[in-house]
Amino acid sequence: NGVAVLPAPQNLSVHSTNMKHLLTWSPVILPGEMTFYSVEYQGEYESLYTSHVWIPSSSCSPTNGSECDITDDITATVPYNLRVRTTRDSQTSAWSTLEHPFNRNSTVLMPPRMEVTKDGFHLVLELEDLGPQFEFLVVYWRREPGAKEHAKVVRRGGIPVHLETMDAGAAYCVKAQALVKTIGRHSAFSQAKCVEVQGESLPL
Amino acid sequence: FGPCQVKGVVLSELWKAFWAVKNTVQAQDNITSIRLLKPEVLPNISDAESCFVAHALLKFYLNVVFKNYYNKRVEFKILKSLSTLANNFILIISKLQPSQENEMFAIKESAHRRFLLFQRAFKQLDIEAALAKAFGEMDILLTWMEKFYHQL
Repeated sequence: NGVAVLPAPQNLSVHSTNMKHLLTWSPVILPGEMTFYSVEYQGEYESLYTSHVWIPSSSCSPTNGSECDITDDITATVPYNLRVRTTRDSQTSAWSTLEHPFNRNSTVLMPPRMEVTKDGFHLVLELEDLGPQFEFLVVYWRREPGAKEHAKVVRRGGIPVHLETMDAGAAYCVKAQALVKTIGRHSAFSQAKCVEVQGESLPL
Repeated sequence: FGPCQVKGVVLSELWKAFWAVKNTVQAQDNITSIRLLKPEVLPNISDAESCFVAHALLKFYLNVVFKNYYNKRVEFKILKSLSTLANNFILIISKLQPSQENEMFAIKESAHRRFLLFQRAFKQLDIEAALAKAFGEMDILLTWMEKFYHQL
């Protein structure tokens, strides 16, 4: 009756970077037709109050790859249980469940990519758009001994931000870090990028 | 919520989850003459009292409203929204630690009376109607919660 005939996927793990969460597993190699997988999740509420309830993943029920972007399924900063099974026609494997529940507060925060440009005498910055949960702390300074650092919080990436009106012949440097208030954490600062009013962008 | 600090919740995620099912859920609420979250329940709550009221209401939603909805054969879209709301409510409740000190007794009592108004109204309805109305009034609850939400 098609129950637990197929081998279950193994080696489930979640790779989470900058609040993008990817569930991966070892592919199940079977002769003949293509193998599919179904992914389901259960937040802390479901596991505490309605443990029989598992919710199909938005994008991977089913899927034929051995990974699943679960970012849109993880919508609270609480532990989530995740499970995967193999499916083929009417046959299904047993469920494989992630060994430890995943909480998005464990995501790895990387510094944002950024473009530092000059528009005439204006120092302009455009940060990578990492999504609505991200803000950025931007620090910029004029490159000279004893220069004072200026800080600015940028609420959203993907849009040019005017930082400073520069003096002719001076060089200015910028660095930025990503902030995620939902999980109360921030990334390291990016490498500084500098521009000179007449020169091109000078990597440090 | 007054003395109670809650971090790590993105209210826009809760709104997004509710908007996704608002029409479906509110269409199931046929009793338009009754409101559970009456004007006497939420508005004009002092900061100090808000922590108690929020704790009581959210706990009710977790223990009664959401739980009953999960046991119904709801459609996938509603289940996903429920999950987002329920798991964020669990997070909020875990952070809401209403003070148990004696001088807060009067405030706690006032909050409890407000909650009883809501609970009594809920119990006066048939369970299916009450669940639909309570879930449908989520926008009233989120709007009220938003008042206490400060962009840090």
